[in-house]
Amino acid sequence: MNPTPAPAPASTAAVPDHAPSGPAPLWRTAVRGLATIWAVPKARLGLVILAVFLLTALFAPLLAPYGATDNSFGRNEAASAAHWLGTTAAGEDVLSQVIFGSRISVVVGFVAGALATAVAVLVGLSWGYARGFLADVANFVVNLFLVIPSLPLMIVIATYLQNSGLAMISIVIAITGWAWGARVLRSQTQSLRSRDFVTAAQFSGEGSWRIVFREILPNMTSLITGSYFGAATAAILAESGLSFLGIGDTSVVSWGSMLFWAQNSNALLTGQWLLLLAPGLCIALLATSLTLINFGVDGLSNPRLREGKGR
Amino acid sequence: MSLLEVTDLSVVYEPKGAEPTYAVKDVSFALERGEFVGLVGESGSGKSTLGFAVTRLSKPPARISHGRIVVGGRDIAGLADEELRRQRQGGFAMVLQSGMNALNPVRTVRHHFFDIFAAHGHVDRRRREARARELVAKVELPDLVLDRYPGELSGGMRQRVSIALALSLEPQLMVFDEPTTALDVLVQHAVMRTIRDLQREEGFTALLISHDLGVVLESTSRVMVMHDGAIVEDGTSQQILHAPEHPYTQMLLSHYADPRAEVVELPGLAVRGGTISTASTRSDDAGQDGAVAPAARPSAVRAGAHRSAAREPVVVDHVSKVYPAPRRGQARVVAVDDVSFRLEPGQSMALVGQSGSGKSTIAKLVTGVERPTSGTVHVGDVRVDTLRRRGLRDLRRQVQMVFQDPYSALNPLHSVEYTLTRPVVNFSDLRGRDARRRVLDLLDLVGLSPVEQFAAKLPHQLSGGQRQRVVIARALACDPQVLIADEPVSMLDVSLRAGVLALLEDLRVQLGMSMLYITHDLLSARVVTDRIMVLHDGRVVEAGETAQVLRFPADPYTVALLDAVPQPGRAGDAA
Repeated sequence: MNPTPAPAPASTAAVPDHAPSGPAPLWRTAVRGLATIWAVPKARLGLVILAVFLLTALFAPLLAPYGATDNSFGRNEAASAAHWLGTTAAGEDVLSQVIFGSRISVVVGFVAGALATAVAVLVGLSWGYARGFLADVANFVVNLFLVIPSLPLMIVIATYLQNSGLAMISIVIAITGWAWGARVLRSQTQSLRSRDFVTAAQFSGEGSWRIVFREILPNMTSLITGSYFGAATAAILAESGLSFLGIGDTSVVSWGSMLFWAQNSNALLTGQWLLLLAPGLCIALLATSLTLINFGVDGLSNPRLREGKGR
Repeated sequence: MSLLEVTDLSVVYEPKGAEPTYAVKDVSFALERGEFVGLVGESGSGKSTLGFAVTRLSKPPARISHGRIVVGGRDIAGLADEELRRQRQGGFAMVLQSGMNALNPVRTVRHHFFDIFAAHGHVDRRRREARARELVAKVELPDLVLDRYPGELSGGMRQRVSIALALSLEPQLMVFDEPTTALDVLVQHAVMRTIRDLQREEGFTALLISHDLGVVLESTSRVMVMHDGAIVEDGTSQQILHAPEHPYTQMLLSHYADPRAEVVELPGLAVRGGTISTASTRSDDAGQDGAVAPAARPSAVRAGAHRSAAREPVVVDHVSKVYPAPRRGQARVVAVDDVSFRLEPGQSMALVGQSGSGKSTIAKLVTGVERPTSGTVHVGDVRVDTLRRRGLRDLRRQVQMVFQDPYSALNPLHSVEYTLTRPVVNFSDLRGRDARRRVLDLLDLVGLSPVEQFAAKLPHQLSGGQRQRVVIARALACDPQVLIADEPVSMLDVSLRAGVLALLEDLRVQLGMSMLYITHDLLSARVVTDRIMVLHDGRVVEAGETAQVLRFPADPYTVALLDAVPQPGRAGDAA
């Protein structure tokens, strides 16, 4: 028995007079996808948290009471009405830094996540579809990336690429973070490629690329979205980790670099635990929100995968 | 007093965010002790929902909305879970269609028995081993099976194990939900015989749920016919067989015939003695799936006309296919063993055999999907077994395939129009408006009208029969010379089969294609093919004219296959 509700059919009226009707427009698919995720309570909480961070990042200049690098205040001040979270050892306002720091984490998270997912999709799908020598080569490369511990690799690459800016950090994170997603997508591709509709597409004269990207890829929407949020989470954590270790540009205000400076100035010993807690909590919350959203992603394309109806 | 009394039972499906639908509507019936009753209906008739409801195995979103289910004087419709669990011993048990997949793969069969004994505590600890042996013996399995893991047993053996497990609760009522549907033809026959014998010896009450009226009539003494959530006819097997009252029952019965008969006729499919002829009227064949197959239409003629290449035969010459051993130490698998045949242009030939007989492998060899280990395959002048990518693509213009499962042969995310446009664009010069016109012509050809509406639909908005028509239309898009149909109707309801078969046969004659029809169903082979090849373990055991071979089979394997065809007329045997 499989009484899964069928996905809401796109409007079946009015077909354009010519040209084959492709899939529904992208924005409509996106809206429907968002509604599916919203329907899951956990994911809804995640979306709300994420939205708060996104808005904070977007309107940072309006929200922050002072500039992020404005060091004209007293040093190591405790929380007060003027400085809700106190000031740093360099005399900057901690709240303003937290607000501006969200920009870095959000941007790096989503950009590096997107890069890693793009590589994972490309490698995973062609690896799953190919057979023979190419598949073996892909297998070797992916396994190589999986066994190398990613943090040391990141540190090595990041130190090698001197004066690494945000773009560089994103690329480094993408390079070290795609392998897991590729492996997951590859298994799903392998299971989908044995389905009759793929053989049927071959019989319809379709080329390999078209089969992979028009027949197989759309059936993996939820996996890809899931692996995107997973990669974004990993990227946010990795960026913070790298900044905390002082790799990358420590003069840029990010949650990671705040932790780095707080650690350098022995914030805990001076009783300024807020200096560590605020950025740390933000990192944890942002990562949690993405993980929560992932709970809702399962519903994206699964009902359609289980298309065959029970007798 | 009846063992089971169901009064005004309704079951409703309440999926989130969708309209509730009543799968079972106000059904009432009673089962007497020791009765063997069949419950027949096609997919969507609510028969399985009813079976799950009376054993209280319904899961959300299905819910018993009202009604009483009285077992042995006790209403179980509203029983709490724990009480229900205790009731299962000595009460009711169920054997599922996928019963062979219901076993835990990491526990031996013995564990399965002991788990049940432990859960209900109805067998003394010291007697458990003996009892387990006794139970497997009842389903005609050796003791050794107890030491095996489910993965080491064949499908038929696993289904027997799940029957024995159901028996271990000493139920008064056994519900069999399509117990043999997922099994191979010959195995199916044997398992049904075991079930019949068991029921007679043990004397439990049995409810056999099946889509196959033939199977049910062969085994049961009373039959209930279900349609659209209601029981439309309830009578003894003899009554149902000889004097069916409801038009739905009559329609179901009309789809059975003996492939050995001199003249075989199915609704919408013509008499086919030794000679070829097609039906003149095809009005009723597709009424069930809301589509009407066209008689010869101008579009069909046009579709066939713009290809005038010489029609050439398919020649398979001493072909063998050997697969490497699945595991170390096991023997290599010889899927096809020295098979030769010639399929003349315009001819239709059946390849029959049970699963594993190599018939699908032959289809793969002919279409170039697999390469033979030895021997050659020619389509006209083209040698298929050495083709590379480019050549294979060209071969697809001539050789197309109709798939077995219409539910997996269409990409769920693509509209019918997209699916049909791709081969048109890939194999012809038609683009834009012209391509679209060709797609609509194809839909018209397979009887899916209004064409504009069907073009816009997604697969899940179509019925099984309609999907299979789309699959056929896709195969015809490039005007192939040879059509390979791999069990094209085995996944469809009985009433839809004749319609799809008639369509295939019509189109084959109209467009002058040759067809290789792969099936285990001898009846359908009899009505759509001229020649037949019977395969057993990769070898051809018998070949010749279809009518001749089926009426006067020479090989014992052919006879066994013929015997396995469900025959409503054999109903008397069981009683």
